[in-house]
Amino acid sequence: MTATSVNPKSPARMRIRVNRLVLYTVLVVVTGLFLGPFGWLVLTGLKAPAELAAAPVHWLPTHFQWHNFADAYRLIDFLGYARNSLIIATLYATLVTLSSAWVGFGFARLTAPGKKTLFGILIGSMMLPQMITLLPTYLIFAKLGMVDTYWPWVLWGLSSAPYLVFLFRQFFAGLPRELEEAAIVDGCGYAGMFWRIFLPQSWPVLSASFVIAFTWTWGDYIAPQLLLSTDRSTLAVAVMTTYVSSAGTPITNLQAAASVMYVVPILLVFLVAQRGFVAGLSTSGLK
Amino acid sequence: MTVDQVSSVAGRPSSAAGAGRAGSAERTGPSMTVRRHRAFYMFTSPWIVGFALLTITPMAYALWLSFTTYDGISPNWHYVGLGNYRELMGDSTTWDALGRAGLFALLSVPLSIVAGLGLAVLVNRPVRGRGLFRTLLYLPAVVPPVGAGIAFKNLFDQNSGAANGVLTFFGFDAIGWLADPYARYVLVMTVLWAAGNIMIISLAGLQDVPRELHEAARIDGASAWRTFRSITVPLLSPVLLFQTVTGVIASVQTIMPMLLAPLSTTGGLTTIPQSNYTYMIHVFSEYFALGRYGYASALLWVLFVLILIATGLIFRFTSGVVFYNVDPEAKK
Repeated sequence: MTATSVNPKSPARMRIRVNRLVLYTVLVVVTGLFLGPFGWLVLTGLKAPAELAAAPVHWLPTHFQWHNFADAYRLIDFLGYARNSLIIATLYATLVTLSSAWVGFGFARLTAPGKKTLFGILIGSMMLPQMITLLPTYLIFAKLGMVDTYWPWVLWGLSSAPYLVFLFRQFFAGLPRELEEAAIVDGCGYAGMFWRIFLPQSWPVLSASFVIAFTWTWGDYIAPQLLLSTDRSTLAVAVMTTYVSSAGTPITNLQAAASVMYVVPILLVFLVAQRGFVAGLSTSGLK
Repeated sequence: MTVDQVSSVAGRPSSAAGAGRAGSAERTGPSMTVRRHRAFYMFTSPWIVGFALLTITPMAYALWLSFTTYDGISPNWHYVGLGNYRELMGDSTTWDALGRAGLFALLSVPLSIVAGLGLAVLVNRPVRGRGLFRTLLYLPAVVPPVGAGIAFKNLFDQNSGAANGVLTFFGFDAIGWLADPYARYVLVMTVLWAAGNIMIISLAGLQDVPRELHEAARIDGASAWRTFRSITVPLLSPVLLFQTVTGVIASVQTIMPMLLAPLSTTGGLTTIPQSNYTYMIHVFSEYFALGRYGYASALLWVLFVLILIATGLIFRFTSGVVFYNVDPEAKK
């Protein structure tokens, strides 16, 4: 437990080896626990309905029902819902990334009276409980006839997201001043400076922001549930609500298979974009 | 800054400061500083307008509705002053729901922070393959709520769930995890499942802890636990504070009880077991199952104010404890 420096060499090495073994065991067990729920979801999706009712739990399916995935895909208009999700998520992620970059540039490189207050409000608004604003927003959108359209996502996208604004602000604030001077020499206005010089520099943040916003929207359940009718809705809503037999009982195995197909694309997106995603998270967490 | 402000207030573009340069490069236009100010508002306007229209307006609308009997259907809804708030005060359902939300926050936030911090320390050790472990431990945090809800519903299913499989394997009775007293623990576990989020954020903080501090502690003969408690935790405290605040806010708003509940026509609202009937679920029930927009808006505003108070209290009580590393010498 105490200092290692006095110990003779071999027991010390031995202890390091044991420590490492313990560490690996802990890591493997903990990781197994964390992957367990998802693994069980996959297994459930591969079982036959009768197995799910069997008295001692069937750990593994007796026959892997791979066709469950095809069945889950065919039972509902899976592709249609996936397309809706894709459209909404791409639409929102594109708009909110551009608008947040635009706003972030303002906060990073420009000054005006009132900037400090505005930035304080921006940071504070990150902590606003979004569910609380969503419900009255829903009533307003309903009044404006925007229910069952994608307009809410366009408006949300155009109005930027404080979290992403902050990411862009941090990035733009770190760029050298010479970039601005070069732009001024070139006769750019501030908009030109943003589009031609600063935005092309910010690829890492742009892609991180896009991925973050995309996963938000792909994962969102409550907004599409409130704002869209069943067949215009997203995959999240469909997976949650439509795997029901005509008698009203849930079709558990197909729902599990469907949710695997719903989750895996987002996991893949994360794995591909991991670096920027995690960097973004850390920056915001440390504030 | 002050010069900027003066010239913008005066609105005189081509006074001493800007005249020479602006005059030669352009026609007689506004000075650099005024253009800069205008540009600032041009750039920040999407957020300002969006915030006003999509956050302030709905909140104000909800505040107004909270003084009425509006239900979206009946035409003769009217102003009732503080009537809804008075009803809310005397409604035991509301208080019970609030208590459950508080309990959920008290359980899930500290536990997930401890779990996240523990994971961070674990994967910060110099072992081979730690990158892979980090990724795998973080993955559940990427799983969307619907996926997590369905996964936990299956994991804790009374008949086909692995949790009961393990219990019966060791000779215990199966438990109705998703039903009344136990459902709240499943709810907490869904939060713990995403502790990878806190792990990643703490990890970034851990890597910022100056190496010399650890070495100094080791030379002084401090134990690993002592080092963790006296060096790592204080240096991570701003991160942990941030996580506490966002964790509380997230836990109060969670709709996970709906996703864990048996399927129903109201999107799970009517089948949520009592122990998961949190304040937010209460709001949703009043809003959508009962259509009492006025009363539900009062509920929302009370929650909003309570969150503000809770956030304020957290900041106040931690102000002496949280350590902000502002020493310019102590860079990485």
